[in-house]
Amino acid sequence: MRDTSVGVENEQGMATSGAVILKLSGISKFYARIAALTDVSVTFRTGEVHAILGENGAGKSTMMNVIAGAIRPDLGTIEFEGRVVASMSPETAASLGIAISYQHPAILDDLSVLENLRVSLPAALFAGNAPRAVAQAMLDQVGLTVPLQARSESLTVAQKQLLEIAKALAIRPKVLILDEPTASLDQDATDMLFARIREVVKAGTSVIYITHRLAELRQIAHRVTVLRDGRLAGSGLVEEVSDQDLLGMIVGRTLGSAFPPKPDSTGDINLSVTGLTGQNFSGVSFTVARGEILGVAGVAGNGQAELMRALAGLQPSKGDVRLGGQSLSNHDMLKQAAFMPSDRHAEGLAGGLTIRENAAISALDKFSSFGIVNRKAEMAQVTDVFRALAVKAPSMEAAVKSLSGGNQQKVVMARALLSEPGLIVADEPTQGVDVGARSEIYRILREVSSRGIPVIVNSSDAAELEGLCDKVIVMSRGQVVETLTGHDVDEARIVAAAVSALTHVDRAENLHPKARASGWRHFLQSDNAPAVPLSLVIVLLALYGFSQNSHFLSSFNVGNILMLATALGFIALGQTVAMLLAGIDLSVGPLAGFLVVVASFFITEGQSPEVMALGFALMLGLAVVVGMVNGLLIRFASFTPIAATLAMYIGLQGCSFILRDSPGGYIDSNVVAWITWQIGPLPVAFVVLVLVALAAEHLLRNRRIGWQLRATGSNEDSARRIGLRIDRTFVAGYVVSALLTVLGAVMLMAQIGVGDPAQGSNYTLASITAVVLGGTSLRGGRGTFIGTVLGAILLTEVLNAVSFLGLSQTYQYVFQGALILVAALIYATVRERSTVK
Amino acid sequence: MAQSPRKQPRQVSRFALAKGFVTVVISTLVLIGLCYAFAPSSLAAGALAGSLPFAAILMIVGLGQMLVVQQGGFDLSVAGGVSLSVVLATHYPSGDNAQLLPAVLIAYACAVAAGLVNGFIVGFVRLNAIVATIGMNALIYGVVFAVSGGVPRITTDLLAQIAGGDSFGLGHSVWIALGILIVTVFAMKKTIWGRKFEAIGANPLAAAAIGLDVRLYQMMAYVLAQLYYCSAGLLIAGITTQPTAFQGDSLLLPSVAVVVLGGTSLLGGRGFPISTAIAALFLNQLSQFAFAVGVPYSAQTIIQALALGLGIGIYSIHLPSYFNKINKLSNREEEDEAIVS
Repeated sequence: MRDTSVGVENEQGMATSGAVILKLSGISKFYARIAALTDVSVTFRTGEVHAILGENGAGKSTMMNVIAGAIRPDLGTIEFEGRVVASMSPETAASLGIAISYQHPAILDDLSVLENLRVSLPAALFAGNAPRAVAQAMLDQVGLTVPLQARSESLTVAQKQLLEIAKALAIRPKVLILDEPTASLDQDATDMLFARIREVVKAGTSVIYITHRLAELRQIAHRVTVLRDGRLAGSGLVEEVSDQDLLGMIVGRTLGSAFPPKPDSTGDINLSVTGLTGQNFSGVSFTVARGEILGVAGVAGNGQAELMRALAGLQPSKGDVRLGGQSLSNHDMLKQAAFMPSDRHAEGLAGGLTIRENAAISALDKFSSFGIVNRKAEMAQVTDVFRALAVKAPSMEAAVKSLSGGNQQKVVMARALLSEPGLIVADEPTQGVDVGARSEIYRILREVSSRGIPVIVNSSDAAELEGLCDKVIVMSRGQVVETLTGHDVDEARIVAAAVSALTHVDRAENLHPKARASGWRHFLQSDNAPAVPLSLVIVLLALYGFSQNSHFLSSFNVGNILMLATALGFIALGQTVAMLLAGIDLSVGPLAGFLVVVASFFITEGQSPEVMALGFALMLGLAVVVGMVNGLLIRFASFTPIAATLAMYIGLQGCSFILRDSPGGYIDSNVVAWITWQIGPLPVAFVVLVLVALAAEHLLRNRRIGWQLRATGSNEDSARRIGLRIDRTFVAGYVVSALLTVLGAVMLMAQIGVGDPAQGSNYTLASITAVVLGGTSLRGGRGTFIGTVLGAILLTEVLNAVSFLGLSQTYQYVFQGALILVAALIYATVRERSTVK
Repeated sequence: MAQSPRKQPRQVSRFALAKGFVTVVISTLVLIGLCYAFAPSSLAAGALAGSLPFAAILMIVGLGQMLVVQQGGFDLSVAGGVSLSVVLATHYPSGDNAQLLPAVLIAYACAVAAGLVNGFIVGFVRLNAIVATIGMNALIYGVVFAVSGGVPRITTDLLAQIAGGDSFGLGHSVWIALGILIVTVFAMKKTIWGRKFEAIGANPLAAAAIGLDVRLYQMMAYVLAQLYYCSAGLLIAGITTQPTAFQGDSLLLPSVAVVVLGGTSLLGGRGFPISTAIAALFLNQLSQFAFAVGVPYSAQTIIQALALGLGIGIYSIHLPSYFNKINKLSNREEEDEAIVS
C-alpha cells in the first residue's frame, strides 16, 4: 500500500471518512527558546476517531491546548470548517463546538455534581426541561451512577473523569478532544466509553483521542498521528500501520547529551524492595546492586511518582525495603533517602533563599557545634560540593530562583550529597534542564552510584533511561509489568512495555458508587448543616437565660438582641461573600463606621428629604468605590486579600477621623424610627436581613452567579479552565461585600444615632466570628448565608446573656473565644471525616 | 572568573536580596530629611526621648509578628498577649517591688501557654491562623479581665525604673529592644534552628521533603511571638504610669504594618528582622512628623495606610515582572556564569 510513516494525505483516506472539519497548518509554539511544537500540520475529519500518540513531552497536550484555544501558537493557522480562525480562545472554541475532556478533570470539589454540570455548561442546555432530568440524562449517557446532589469531593478519580467526559459530550460537540480518558477507568467503563465514542462518531463528530496505549488505539481509532519532540513523526490510517511502525515513530529521538559509560554489575545487592504497596501502586519488587542505577519507566501517572515518594519516605507504604541488609521503616526512609522532586519550584528548593542556604539545610548538624553554625566549615564544604558538581552561579549568596533549571537541579543534588544519604531517589531529574547540564547530571548520578549509594531514577523519557540506567522497571496502572536488565535496557523495549501493557485499574474501588447516602446524610454533608446545631444552641441558651431571669425573653430584650444582630448580620453577610472567594475582607468594620460618619452630615435633623436621599446615595457610592479598590488591588496589583483590606481598614479609620474628630451630627429621629421599627419584639429590619439572606442563599445554590462565586473560590484554576471570568467575579465579590456592609451601616447609624469616628472597627472581628460560627469555610468555595445570620444571632445573644445575667466581662470574652474556636474545630473535624472516609 | 559583558543575573539577585532593606532605609532617610526641613522639633532630644520607647515596643511586637508571618501565618492575638502581660505586671504586684519577679515569670508562663495553644491549633490541627488567633485573643482577654476587672492599676516603681530609665542617653526600653533584635538576628542566621526556621518559612513543602519537622517549627513561631508580645507588654507596664487593660489593641495593625514594610511577604517566606525594626522606627517617626507639622491625630492613620499600601505595592507590584525576568533567566543557556568557588 503506502509508506505508513509519511504524513501525506491519502486519497483512500479521504474516501473512507468524512469531510475535513479542523485543519492545523504549520503550527509552531516556543517557550522561551525551546520549541514545544514545530511546524505541525494535521487534518481532522468528521465521523472518525483520530488518535494522537507520543511520549510525554512530545507536544500532545500543547497541540490539544492550541485547538482548545488555551494556548496561542506562535506560527501557523487553524482552519475550522474551511474558514481560518484568526485567534482561537476558549470562548471561540466553545462557540465553534469544540469540547475538551481534560486528563485532570476540571471538576470543582466544593460544588455538587449537578452544580458542576450547570456552571460549566451553557444555560440553554437546561432550558425547557427540568434541570435535574437533563443532568441525569447526561450522567446516564456515560454510565455514571452518583446522586446529583453529591458533593464532587466525594467522587472517585474515575467518577470525576466520567463527569468530565459527560460535560464534554453534553454540548454535542463537532470536535471532541479526549485526553487520556481511560487512565483511571476500569474495563467496563472503558467499554462503555468506547461505545459512546462510536455513537458520536457515527453521528458525525470528529474525535481527537490522546492516548499512550496501542491496544486502545487499535480498538477505537481510525487514524493516528504520532508526535515526537514537538514534530510530526508520522500519520496514517490505523489499519495500515503496524505496532512496530508506530513504536518506530514514537521512539528514536536524538539526545543531545552524552551518557557516562555503564560499569559491569557486581551483583552485590545493596537495596532490595519486596512487595511495596502504597497509594496508586502495589506489589512493587526490585533489587539494586552496588554501582547500579535503577530506572522507573512508564506512561506518566501510572504510579511512578507515588512509588518515588514512598521510597523517599514521604508517603506511607507497606512492604519490605532493605538497604544494605537492614530493613527500613517509613521513618527510616525519610531519614535515609535524599529526594530530588520533579517539581523543583514547589518542593525542591526554597526559591527565596540563597544557593548556600538551600544546599546546606539538610547538613547543618555537620557544620555546627552547640547548635551554632560554623560559617567557615559551612562555606568550605558547600564550596567543595558546588565545585565538584560544577554549579554555575554569580555567587554563593545568589537567590536560587535566579539560576537556570540545570543549576537549580545541581543545587538540589548538592544538598542531597551534603546530607550523606543512604539512597538517592530522583524524580524526573532532567525535567526543565538544558542539554548541556543534563549530561553533567547523568555524570553526577553515575559517580554517586559508583560510590555504592543506590540511585533510583524515574523518567518519562525512555531514551534517557536507556542511556543512564543498568536496570529498568516499567510500570503500568501501579504494577511492574516488565523488568529490563543489561542489553534489554533500550528505548524501544521500554516504550513497547509501557504502551502495550494491558493491565486495568482494579474494579473494586473504582466506579461503583458508595452506598447511596440517605437524605439526612446528604444534609449533614451540605453547607447548611451547621444551621441545625446553631439553632439548637440559640434556643437552649435562650431557655437557660429565661430560666435565670424571666426578662431575658421579654419583648424588649428579644427586640434588642435581634436589632443588634441585624447590624452584625448584614456586615457578616458581606464577609461571607469574601470568604466564599477564599479571601477575607478586613475593611468591613471601618467601612461601616466611615459610612455612618458620612451619613451624619446628610441624614440629620431638619435636612430635606433630598439631602437625606443624597446621603444614602453617597453611602452606596462610597461603598462601591471601596469594594472596587479592594478587588482591583487583590486581582491586578497582586496584593493578598489581607494586605489590601488591611490597608483599606487603616485608611478608612483615618478618613472617619478626618471627617469628624469627635462624635457629632445627630441622625434624624424619624429616620431612626423607621429603621428601628418593630412589630412586637420583631424588628422589621431583622425580617429584611432574613429575606436578604434567604435570597442570597437562593442565588448561591440555584443561580449561575452563585455557582460562579463558589467555583471561583473553590479552585481558581479549574474555574478558569471551564471558562469562568475569574477577575470579574473577584472584584464583583468585594463590591457586593461592601454593599452589604452599607446595610449594616444603616443599622449601625440608627443604633448609635450620631457620627462617631471611633465606632465600627470592632465589627470586622465580630463579622469573621459570625461567619465562622455559621460554618463557612475560610478555604473558599463553601459557605452559607443562613448560617452566617444564625452565627450573628448566637454571638449577639451570648454577649447579651453575659450582661443580662450579671456575669463579668471576663465571661463575655471567654464565651466569644471559646465559641469561635470550638465551632471551627468541630467543623474542621467533620469536614476531615467526610473527605477521608 | 570569566564574566561576560552581560551581568544581568548578578544585579537581579543582589537587588532581590536587599530590596526590603533598601526600601525601608531610603524611606526612613527621606523621612528624617523631611523632619529636618519641616519639623525639626520632632527630632529634638526631648521629642526623641519621648517617642523612641514606643518605637522600641513596636519593634519588639513587630518582630514577634514577623516570626508568625514568615511561616505563612497571621497573629491577631497580639493585642491580648500584650495586654495580658501589662495587666499581670501591674495587678499582681500591685505596687510591691518584691512581687515583681513572680509577676514577670507568671506573665511569661502565660505567654508560653497561649503560644502553645495557638501553635497547636494552627500547626497541628491546621485551623486557619486568623480564626485560631481571633479565638485565642478573646480567651486571653478573658484572662485579662479575670485578673484586672478592667480597672487600671499603677505600676511598680522597680518596673518603672527598669523599663523607663535611661542609660548612655537612651531609654532602657530602646536598649532592650536592640538586644532582642540582635538575639533574633543571631538566632535566625547563625543557629541550626534559625536556619531551619527560615527554610521552612521559605518553602514548607520542600522542607517537609527533606524531613524537617514543619509543624513543630510552625507551632514554635506562635510561642516565640507570644514571648515577644509579653516582653513588649512588660515594657509598656514600666513606661506608662497607669496602663489600661486594652494597651495591646493599638499595636495590632502597626505590628502587621511594620512586618510588611520590612519586606516580609504575608504569604510567608524569608523574614527580615532588621528591616522590620527600621520600619518600626519609620512608622513611629512618621507619626511624630505628622504630629509636629500639625496634622491631627485623625489623619495620621491615613498616612500610615498610604505608607503601608505603598510598601506592599513596592514589594508586590514589581513581583510579576521580576518573576518574568527569572523565568527568562532559567531557560537561558548557561554561558555567562562563573562556577562558584
